[in-house]
Amino acid sequence: MELFFRKSIIAATGLFLCIFLIVHLSANCILLLPEDIARELYNSYSTTLRENPLIKLVAYALYLSIILHVVYALLVTLRNRKAKPTKYALNHSNENSSWASQNMGLIGIFILLFIVVHLANFWARIKLGMGEAVGTDAFGYVDVYEVTSSLFHNIYYVIFYSLLMIPLGLHLHHGLKSAFKTLGFYHKSGLDLLAEVAVVYAAIMSIGFGVIPFIVYFK
Amino acid sequence: MKATFRIWRQDTPNGQGGFKDYEVDGLNADMSFLEALDHLNEILVLRNEKVVAFEYDCREGICGQCGVYINGRAHGPHENITTCQLHMRSFEDGATIVIEPWRADAFPIIKDLIVDRSAFDRIIEQGGYISAKTGTAPEANAIPIGKEISDRAMDAAACIGCGACVATCKNASAALFTSAKINHLNSLPQGQPEAHKRVLEMTAQMEKEGFGHCTFTGACEVECPEGISIVNIAEMNARYLKAKLFS
Repeated sequence: MELFFRKSIIAATGLFLCIFLIVHLSANCILLLPEDIARELYNSYSTTLRENPLIKLVAYALYLSIILHVVYALLVTLRNRKAKPTKYALNHSNENSSWASQNMGLIGIFILLFIVVHLANFWARIKLGMGEAVGTDAFGYVDVYEVTSSLFHNIYYVIFYSLLMIPLGLHLHHGLKSAFKTLGFYHKSGLDLLAEVAVVYAAIMSIGFGVIPFIVYFK
Repeated sequence: MKATFRIWRQDTPNGQGGFKDYEVDGLNADMSFLEALDHLNEILVLRNEKVVAFEYDCREGICGQCGVYINGRAHGPHENITTCQLHMRSFEDGATIVIEPWRADAFPIIKDLIVDRSAFDRIIEQGGYISAKTGTAPEANAIPIGKEISDRAMDAAACIGCGACVATCKNASAALFTSAKINHLNSLPQGQPEAHKRVLEMTAQMEKEGFGHCTFTGACEVECPEGISIVNIAEMNARYLKAKLFS
């Protein structure tokens, strides 16, 4: 029971997070528009999100998904370590499987680190009111655009945000492929197609999220 | 041909083990890997030293008894073979070859390169069979089965239980073995009456034996001598879900 239940939780929450990322990246694309339009659109979009009760529900599901994903990944890792207490003196695992698939936990730690910094930069400031106060724009909306734009005019943050999209891409590629298998999808040609979709999806997410900070920096 | 065998030596199940180097001369590129180990053991006998304990039976790739970790790979450097199908021509003259037993909590070491794989037997005991009245063999064509289904069942049934999947898996998961055994019987009409019970009980035993979670690295299907596809694991997961919901 444990073997199936734990992995199914990780797979289901992971897939939910995959869908969330599509919405998130779509919204980030607003940042690519000319500054005036981008500011208005971005701020009105984020205000609409914050004020919609349905989105609030989705936000709670999102927090819960991240927590469950991490907690169950930890439980799975602990059991797996116990199942293989002695490592091989010589192990060429790179010859039979991808590095990412062998190191999802390690990659996950990098992503978690990113999430903590990301939440501190935005969520803590905008929603919790911590740190420097966030102003309003000409339309009276909370100026989330300014928070984003000023953050991405700091080259260190730009590099940090972009660099950590590499582990994200690796994690998404293996995660998307195996989540379906974990949940019992076993159609052979469907899985072949899924493997290709996973590459495209991971590349779009990784490159998309990784390039936008640079574009904002040079705008 | 010469080689240095760096072999894991361990006298007792709970004893302290360690690597020992053996420089072996007089090998031949056409020797199978097991014959090379035989050759080493003959030398050790003449030197009045303890021989290296390793397991084998048929030596033609069908019994699943042989199996050691060779140079960082289960069953050696090639894909989809057993250890007895590996030959010395796969190594360079004078090479150092590292040989370790399967490593998994559920496969405790008995001696040197031999591990106890009875955890697999106990999984089979939970439903890797069909309950049927004994008697003379039924007429072969009495139950018509489509080719696609019989092919799939046969592909899964090909598993020889060597344990390479567990050995190569970073989590020591037995999902490939267990799924092959479940899917073989559950896809055939003969396996239907006990289908749900089989999947629930065999997977419960797999969990009890202390195997890890499957994280789909895909290493198992590369090392499996019978090329059992990892899709079997996804199919087992679907069968498990179905059994949980409908039984």
